[in-house]
Amino acid sequence: MPLAAQTPVGAPTESPFKDQDYQRPQVCQQCHPRQFAELRSSVKSGYRNVSPLFNGLEAAGNLLNGGLLRPVYADSAKTTTAADGSTIPLNTNMFTTRDYQNVSQVRAGFCLSCHNGPFVRRANDPQLREVPELAGTGANFVPELFRPLRDYHLVDGNGNQVLPATIGGDPPPGSGPSLGATGITCDLCHNIGGADLSRSFQGDGFANISILVNHTIEKVGPFAQPLAVKGNFHVSSNDPTKINFLRSGAFCNACHDVRVPLAAPGDFQHAEIDVNPGGQNVTYYRLENLSSEWQVGAYNSTNNPFGKVIRCQDCHMSMFPFAGNSNYKVGDLNITSATPAVFADNFAAIQGAADGNFPIPKRKVVDHHFTGVDVPLLYPNELQARLGSDYPDPYQAGVDEYGIPLSLATRRRALLENAARVSLDKSDKTATLGQTFTVRAECVALTGHRFPAGFSQERTTYLQLSVTDDNGVVIYQSGYVVDKPHPETGEMQPDGNLDDEDIEHVHAVVDPGHPRPNTSTPYAGGTFGGAANQVFEAGPDDGPDSRVYFGNNEGLVLFRNELTRIFQPGQSLGHNDANGNPIIATKPHYEETFNAALASTVDNFRSLQPLVPRTFKYDITLPTAEELQEMGVTSLKAPLHIHAQINYEHFPPLFVRYLVRTTGPNGPTGHDLGLLSEQRIDDLLKNLTNLASADVTATVQE
Amino acid sequence: MRTKLIFVTLFALVGAFSQTPQPAPIEGPAAPAYVPGVTYQSANPNYPTRNPFYFEGRIDWNLLKIDQPSNTWEYMERGIHEQDDLEDYASAIKDYQQSIAMNNLTNNTCQIVTSPIPSSGQLNPPPCIFTVRLRLAGLIKQTDPATALDLYNQVLNIDPLRLGVNAAIGEVYASMAEAASDPAKAASLYNQAVTAYQAELALSPVTPLQTQLTGDTANNAHVHWALAEIFDKLNRPSDEMSELNLYLQATKWHSDTYPWRITLAQKRIAKLQSGAADRRPTRLH
Repeated sequence: MPLAAQTPVGAPTESPFKDQDYQRPQVCQQCHPRQFAELRSSVKSGYRNVSPLFNGLEAAGNLLNGGLLRPVYADSAKTTTAADGSTIPLNTNMFTTRDYQNVSQVRAGFCLSCHNGPFVRRANDPQLREVPELAGTGANFVPELFRPLRDYHLVDGNGNQVLPATIGGDPPPGSGPSLGATGITCDLCHNIGGADLSRSFQGDGFANISILVNHTIEKVGPFAQPLAVKGNFHVSSNDPTKINFLRSGAFCNACHDVRVPLAAPGDFQHAEIDVNPGGQNVTYYRLENLSSEWQVGAYNSTNNPFGKVIRCQDCHMSMFPFAGNSNYKVGDLNITSATPAVFADNFAAIQGAADGNFPIPKRKVVDHHFTGVDVPLLYPNELQARLGSDYPDPYQAGVDEYGIPLSLATRRRALLENAARVSLDKSDKTATLGQTFTVRAECVALTGHRFPAGFSQERTTYLQLSVTDDNGVVIYQSGYVVDKPHPETGEMQPDGNLDDEDIEHVHAVVDPGHPRPNTSTPYAGGTFGGAANQVFEAGPDDGPDSRVYFGNNEGLVLFRNELTRIFQPGQSLGHNDANGNPIIATKPHYEETFNAALASTVDNFRSLQPLVPRTFKYDITLPTAEELQEMGVTSLKAPLHIHAQINYEHFPPLFVRYLVRTTGPNGPTGHDLGLLSEQRIDDLLKNLTNLASADVTATVQE
Repeated sequence: MRTKLIFVTLFALVGAFSQTPQPAPIEGPAAPAYVPGVTYQSANPNYPTRNPFYFEGRIDWNLLKIDQPSNTWEYMERGIHEQDDLEDYASAIKDYQQSIAMNNLTNNTCQIVTSPIPSSGQLNPPPCIFTVRLRLAGLIKQTDPATALDLYNQVLNIDPLRLGVNAAIGEVYASMAEAASDPAKAASLYNQAVTAYQAELALSPVTPLQTQLTGDTANNAHVHWALAEIFDKLNRPSDEMSELNLYLQATKWHSDTYPWRITLAQKRIAKLQSGAADRRPTRLH
């Protein structure tokens, strides 16, 4: 069967072999049990598709734009506008559109396509479709009937789709995961024929699943001389072009850059336009930029501490970071960190899998854990209810045959502990009462991309810094959190948990939207969808704005990138003045936003670039002798102890609380989508502190 | 073994065919060969093309691949590099000044935007940049406070809602007051600082909705602390105590970067309540 909507460009990519439908990973498990077990605990495989965070984020985007992110299919009756201004059918989505002419085609299925593109393509057949097309979008959107994606990823014992009894409800008794619940799995990666250049905005195979995915029995593996498979269940490709692509870092480009369609003029600070013929009306901004960062970084060259190209696979599909350390210098920093590109010797399949029972040799094999920076926000019983009773506990004990922890959470921590380093050695050595002294925190990312990367506008990585005297009196603190109530989601008193607290550079509460007054009211995302900031103010640790815009050496050092809304003159900011009146911008106004669908620009340069140290200064003023006297303190006891550590939150709590509310019963749908709650935040949002640290002392002069 | 491997592979391949391979015809000029890890967009992805705003943030200087700045934005970015990475403040000031000279209302090289952005993304002259003005003001506020105040006011003209600018103005006035030898002049400057700080508070007031959502009854702890300090100088104990109380409310759930100030505020309130005279030696006389 020819590729449904994608045309090979450049290298030969189409598969000449006979068709094979998309396979569940359990089919592959029979001969590749190690790979199956490893992949099973990866968040990209299965979990992401039932993740309350992913589902909530997809819902929030749809509630803001009236359902435009849901896929359309070949039988759709919807229309859009072509590059020449004519009206054309909108019956292809982000994965099945050959040449984008309108941002509507990119929006359709935007989230789902990256997390399961071939599944979206096969859904052109109504008999194979799990996620239906929405009957109405835009003004005709019916939020009251809106279901989270994962409602559609359930089947009964006969393989027939079943839906929860109520929208967002628990899986029906006896149900199990559908094919669509498998997410990024064996049959996605091993069916890839190459980069789809004409469907990538810059013609280079980057972003938005711009890959050519075959669906035949030809499976592409890493070996130049693969063995034949018993019974021809599949053919192991010996096409060097496909094999080389699979083995390259470029293999990951199509999914690990994400470019968000944005109506003209697009990104308000960066003209970004689809360069392909007919794409002049497709404007966008760069959300995830990980592959681009690797592409232009030192690891895609020999100019790095290892003297060779270090691919994505070398850290995320190797024994890294459990295969020993390397020592090297970056600038004047001495680094000890895990060694990439160490691969185990093992069998790629079980004995007996090859045709003629040909013995499977031991070879260098890759690890399929794909450890990243996330852990599930589902309880183990929920994971098993939605993904199968054998789904592993992310916190399970034990190690595998190589000594790699079985626990995803443990692997995540180990990975992040090797992501960055900090030094305070360039700080002032002496401080004087009533005077300012400067702490210099030199930070470097050791990652192949910037750090944090991926959804870097939410991956909250920051420096926690403290200055204390020898008695433990805290003189200065930054990057701290405070246990506090969260009435917005029902937590009326501090709960003793710091993992659910935001850092103190900004105080923001995001508008969850609200139900429309009745179902005859046309839907307006701007009215009902929320997403603007109900509360937005600087906190006492306001480093990002102070440092970036004002150039001040004070406050939080935050490596999180920033989604920004540039409010235009006449637009409401979403929060009110002292008289209760909406604050309306009279001039363009920049404000951080937490819903990617509301952003009009992005700052992707707050993260640390790889292997280039950067020094952040803190001008810290000691109390005066008079102030100490007022407090009944004779003096500070020397030396001062300066401590810095790198901390990490996989999601900022305020962002998750926004999703709690917008997908809750008082949000635009008027019912609970069953995704997130304050309790879930308290139980499962697990942040990591002290990934790397440094300590120095300073003397005190009276 | 090798022979058997090839045989088995060929056998499997033949058995697997169900149709003759039909390479898709490629029309038009041949596309350049795709090379993994090499093929990439030709334009520098780290250099933003204005649309219509200049990028107001900081981009790692080495990524921009600029030998010599040639426009207002490039001078700003080099200035940021000099300020942040090299601690070469004199060079940063020069580059910021050059940037502003090339993005200025007085020579019609920038504009204040007062209407929605056109879908074309085209605005000529370009919008005035606020970052370069804020950064230059920050570097010269001690040596040339008048120019710093002018720059901050230019930013308020660009974006009256930007947080932190009024507080920065208040800080400059307070600093000028500290340096003033004439008590009347100092008092006047302190009052201008109070006006600026209060303008800052007005941009993000604590509304009933905010209290309902967060439990906060005050915010902007540093502004309240600064106001309390000024009211002490102005010998307005009631106002000072009010600001100290607001500072404590604002830090209740958020603490402070200087947490000892919370203890100090409590001590000062206690003294103010007790009516103790001359508790601090720094008031204006």
